[in-house]
Amino acid sequence: MPADSRSLVLQSCRHCGAGAPAEAHFCPQCERILSVARHGDYFTFFGLPRKLTIDLGDLERRFRDLSRRFHPDYFYNASPAERLASLERSSYLNDAYRVLRQPIDRVEYLLKLEGLAPAGRQQAGADASRLEPGLLEEVFELNEELDAIHRARAAGAPADEVSRRLEAAARPIEARAAQQEERLAALMARWDELMEEAGPAPRPVAEEGGSSARRQTLEALRTLLDERSYVENLLQLLARERGELHP
Amino acid sequence: MSHVVGIDLGTTNSLVAWVRDGEPAVIPDPVSGEVLLPSVVTVDDRGNVYVGREAQRRLLTDAGHTVYSVKRFMGRGAADVSDEASHFPFSLAGDGEGVVRIGLGERAFTPPEISAFILRELKRRAEAYFQERGEFDFEVDRAVITVPAYFNDAQRTATRDAGRIAGIEVLRIINEPTAASLAYGLDRRRVGTIAVYDFGGGTFDISILRVEDGVFQVLATNGDTHLGGDDIDRLLVEQVVSEMGGEPTPEVLQAVRLAAIQAKIDLSSQEQTELRVDLAGQGAAPVYRRVLDRASFERLIAPVVERTLVPCRAALADASLGPGQVDEVVLVGGSTRIPLVRRAVEELFGRRPHTELNPDEVVAIGAAVQANILVTGNRDMLLLDVTPLSLGIETMGGAMEKIILRNSTIPATGTEMFTTFVDNQSSVDIHVLQGERELARDNRSLARFRLRGIPPMPAGLPRLQVRFQIDANGILSVSARELRTGIEQAIEVKPSYGLSEEEVERMLLESFEHAEADVEARLLIEARNEAESVVRATEKSLRNPDLQAARGTELAPGEIEAIESALADLRDALNGNDRAALEAKTRVLNDVTRHLAEVLMNRSVRAALSGRSIDHVE
Repeated sequence: MPADSRSLVLQSCRHCGAGAPAEAHFCPQCERILSVARHGDYFTFFGLPRKLTIDLGDLERRFRDLSRRFHPDYFYNASPAERLASLERSSYLNDAYRVLRQPIDRVEYLLKLEGLAPAGRQQAGADASRLEPGLLEEVFELNEELDAIHRARAAGAPADEVSRRLEAAARPIEARAAQQEERLAALMARWDELMEEAGPAPRPVAEEGGSSARRQTLEALRTLLDERSYVENLLQLLARERGELHP
Repeated sequence: MSHVVGIDLGTTNSLVAWVRDGEPAVIPDPVSGEVLLPSVVTVDDRGNVYVGREAQRRLLTDAGHTVYSVKRFMGRGAADVSDEASHFPFSLAGDGEGVVRIGLGERAFTPPEISAFILRELKRRAEAYFQERGEFDFEVDRAVITVPAYFNDAQRTATRDAGRIAGIEVLRIINEPTAASLAYGLDRRRVGTIAVYDFGGGTFDISILRVEDGVFQVLATNGDTHLGGDDIDRLLVEQVVSEMGGEPTPEVLQAVRLAAIQAKIDLSSQEQTELRVDLAGQGAAPVYRRVLDRASFERLIAPVVERTLVPCRAALADASLGPGQVDEVVLVGGSTRIPLVRRAVEELFGRRPHTELNPDEVVAIGAAVQANILVTGNRDMLLLDVTPLSLGIETMGGAMEKIILRNSTIPATGTEMFTTFVDNQSSVDIHVLQGERELARDNRSLARFRLRGIPPMPAGLPRLQVRFQIDANGILSVSARELRTGIEQAIEVKPSYGLSEEEVERMLLESFEHAEADVEARLLIEARNEAESVVRATEKSLRNPDLQAARGTELAPGEIEAIESALADLRDALNGNDRAALEAKTRVLNDVTRHLAEVLMNRSVRAALSGRSIDHVE
């Protein structure tokens, strides 16, 4: 598929053979429900631009509206092919809604869609250099400290002392987390701006040079997701310790 | 046009409902008028099958051939139920692997077959009802059947199989709490967050829903498929049995169980009650009696009620909601009549729960509404349910890798890539699991699949994409494709705790053979009902105050004695299951009482005419 043909990606109706735009759910000619197209994506499916800022209320309304249009409940008396299409389209809708609703899942999905290797420490093992300098050391130390607090509490240290230590450890973790959320929001906004500038149906980022602004933004997002997973881990440990301290 | 109905196939009771001119209604038995059908099945030594009240009666005389709470065994293996097998009077068999079997006399039945007997009785009831309404086509051939939200794939499939064995096309399996919300949603406000607390005879569910624009979207669900009123009964039974001492026979145990259930029910409306165990045919004196007050009952059952709150908190957490963010709480299931349960729910959510609809009927009503949506295509309301448990596969090293997470809206899909380990490997085995635990062996095994027909290639080269599809029933199907060649892979399914397609077909055929035995069973039930009504009428006559005056005047010497002896004969016959004897003795009693009935009738007519008391009419 040539890179610049994305706007032309069509579905075709398996019933009457007519072509339909990528965002269509029903055949414009025979009005039957369309099978899920091989090359569609979640944004297009919802009729949304490929942007990272999404109004969740609007997304939910679209989800309900689309559910009403092709849920299997309404295809009981239809042909087997239409019933299958309704099942597939509803499944796709539910999967898409689940991903787009969560900002992190949404970013990861976009990375994949634009042809960038996914975030995640498994794959990024060799790319630790991309992470913010000093982050790993800090994470390691905080991990040790939370472990030590856990052991101290198990050994019967006084609750107020444990609590003081825990809150001291919490401050840098929570500061990091807040900082990352801010950065995430900024990068998402940046991507959306670049998409505005790029106009309708730009080329996939993977086909652009390393210096393109869109590519740099996505790579920064990918790095941020990796960094974020370390801090997320710490936050979970923290929540567990707090939970055990104040059940 | 044949009919579609909604069926609540419950642990304790089952019932059927339909939508008539847009209004849902439960369907009573046209003869008895009863709405609830006890989910009890007996098969006697001649192969006759009894369902409902008659089967419940036989628990006291023939406990070993009578099955109740069969829902607890749906989709389960023999090893799963070995702990609780001792609590039931019927025998549970089957090796560690595969579906459990319930032995009744000569034959062993799978739980779907037992459930099919209940479904067929409901089908018959509904058809008789439609026939009585004078409908030309009264056949009931399609239904929506409800299951606990927390039922896994095997339990749902077993329920669908039961429907097929009963000759019913199961349009949809829906979750009980969701069905209840649909019933409540009919005339309620259209926006808000609802918690449905469904505490039935054998299962507990909690579902949190968001309702807007007629879309009922489940946000999270949780539960315990082995927690219900049965567990409360069991606590009471254990207490009574230990106080009685000795080893009770299965029949005594059933008498204790029924007495415990009655005491439990009494204590929902009274502060205290007498728990009294009577045995059939053992004179008037109860074998056990004890006064039970509500406070001590509540102390006894508090741990069971507490166990329901754990899934509630988990569901709230999964929905990212605090208990205070729930706008309405709905109670479903007979066990929610217990005041302690109501208090516990009210305390957790900080608001008074809804109880406007009959908690025994609301699920069947919701199922009927859903059945109506399916056949009419009416889009005013839409249920969007979730899968209660994560679906995954066993990976190398015995871990579980999740592919579709719990509380995902269904239908849902997940895909996973596999490859080969040796050159020219032509098949790959896959073990599918359901559950939340890390290790494969701690989760529910759903099925083992073998992907066959992989084109010969060097190891690691094939790209096998396996697609898991959970449909709107919450039931899984699997397809696979080798991406390099595009070849669709053959999949052989071996369900871990289910029936194969062939077994379901065979059982469907066998159920037609049973239809003949069922006619005999129905005749026996009718004979018994007739005998009971004659016994009641005779007892009433013998209590009539005019009897003494008539003795020695209108009545011949020995006439009363003859009646009493015929009455005793018929009572004896009622304890047995011999239809011919029942009918003969009913006829005898009818004959010997005819004169007495005339005498008493004449006396009362004379008294009414003269306006004076009988003593003066001589």
